[in-house]
Amino acid sequence: MLKRIEQSPPLTLLVVAAAFFVYGYSTSLFKITDFIIFTIFVLGFDMAYGQMGKLSFGHMLYYGAGSYGAGLCAIHVYPDPFLAILAGMIFGAALGLILGPVLVKLKGAAFALSNLAFNQLGYFLVLVPFAPVTGGEDGISLSFNSYGFIDFSDFNFRFYFYLACLLGVVFLYQRFTRAPYGIFLRATKENEIRVRFLGYNTQVFKVVTFVISTTLSGLAGALNALNLQFTNTSLIDPTRSVEVIFAALMGGAGNVLGAVMGGMAFMTIRQYLADYLVRWEMFLGIALLFIAFKLRKGLYGVLAKG
Amino acid sequence: MSEHILATQGVSKAFDGLVATNNVTYGLFPGETAGIIGPNGAGKSTFFNLLTGYYPPDTGQVFYHGREITKLPAWDRVNLGLVRTFQLVSVFDTMTVLENMMLARMRQGGSYASKGRFFFGRARRKGLDDECFKALATMGLEGKAGTRTSDLSYGEKRELEIAIALSLNPQVLLLDEPFAGLSLVEIGNISEVIKKLKGKFTIAIVEHKISKLMDLVDRLSVINEGALVCSGEPREVICDPLVRECYWGKEDMVCY
Repeated sequence: MLKRIEQSPPLTLLVVAAAFFVYGYSTSLFKITDFIIFTIFVLGFDMAYGQMGKLSFGHMLYYGAGSYGAGLCAIHVYPDPFLAILAGMIFGAALGLILGPVLVKLKGAAFALSNLAFNQLGYFLVLVPFAPVTGGEDGISLSFNSYGFIDFSDFNFRFYFYLACLLGVVFLYQRFTRAPYGIFLRATKENEIRVRFLGYNTQVFKVVTFVISTTLSGLAGALNALNLQFTNTSLIDPTRSVEVIFAALMGGAGNVLGAVMGGMAFMTIRQYLADYLVRWEMFLGIALLFIAFKLRKGLYGVLAKG
Repeated sequence: MSEHILATQGVSKAFDGLVATNNVTYGLFPGETAGIIGPNGAGKSTFFNLLTGYYPPDTGQVFYHGREITKLPAWDRVNLGLVRTFQLVSVFDTMTVLENMMLARMRQGGSYASKGRFFFGRARRKGLDDECFKALATMGLEGKAGTRTSDLSYGEKRELEIAIALSLNPQVLLLDEPFAGLSLVEIGNISEVIKKLKGKFTIAIVEHKISKLMDLVDRLSVINEGALVCSGEPREVICDPLVRECYWGKEDMVCY
């Protein structure tokens, strides 16, 4: 059944929207907004990992770029929330465009660790040399203009707006994967050299894919900055890059429903299990071991079979 | 030199000191079907890889239509009409036969030239579908369009690879051991296809076993230990004592 949903874009949008509505209204819209942001981040990460087959250990860098882009735009340019979101995406895209041409040439561990290294570098830059601008460890608190009902300090509005963003990202993601570009991505993941011999400049298209991934990560980061009304170094912390990898693995890489399930499951564990278990990270570790050994294709793989 | 459609000038390539291709000067005439033979490990595939831009030569130059393409990346050469197949069949196993063909056609067909269509358009469109089915039909694969490529037999994969190569509008088609690992019936089928293609464009075939090439090619060249030993009319070449020494010595071949 899951496969049938995934194959029909309108049905996927409907199911994703319904899932967040039900979850949001049965728990708290305020908390579920975090879930939505994280799911956007997982989808962005999955463009690189699930679609292109490149696992990054440093995607928090692009997320952080989005957060700081939004924050700095609000403070130094104009405190318009939409401008801030746009600035966050531009920051993410720009970073992807600068680092992408070098990074996408790397394979496997080299790609993963180079991303981590750049993430560490970015974290340090934000923490110390740029501290006068970024506020260092304390970060910067933000406020945004509100226009009537468009008020980002109201969590109801945020929930609906962010959900709309998520649906937009899902729509784009499915558009890409069903277009000729999607076939190209799958082929490149399997045998890049062969794709070159079909006349494709794989380097250019890989950079484009990477930039799409970093832009979506930047969007998630910007939305989070608006959600929290501040940015600080925890939003670019390389150690948190694990979270998105974990969610993508848990849900199943390479499809929308997997990313959504992974995002939701991870955030559920983090939000709710943390109330009962002091060391919830240990539970995550055990769950990851189980996934690595038993559920290679994540929740999607298990559920799509049945 | 200028009458060659594709030519090399003293190309060499070494891997960790092992000289795989040694100072080869070779040319293909427009419209001919040429064969390149040589024992295992003679450097035939390496030579093909140098022609097609899989890796650059250490020394020497490659010319296409008289223009130097030594440093041109593989994808640009393909778009100029320099198309190849691989010794080990390489089609995309995780995709369907139709998708394999679409990937090749998307680049060539006019309808996907625009970037917008490539990123956002639907892959399944009537125009492209028709093109793909037509291209698959050249090798009799249209009935398998929906099959996952990993479920094809090795021979069918080889046929698919050739169908893909043909759909790339080649001017020069380089076939790297097209008969390797195939049954006699499949070899017959592919030979028939190549015979039909003869003269339509330039074809070069690398092959380990001479017998399959004898009645296919107009000209035969022999590579041994990375160097071009001799080149000429097939029947003359295999009677050349130098060739017999380096090659047929091991195989009991009758001189035609």
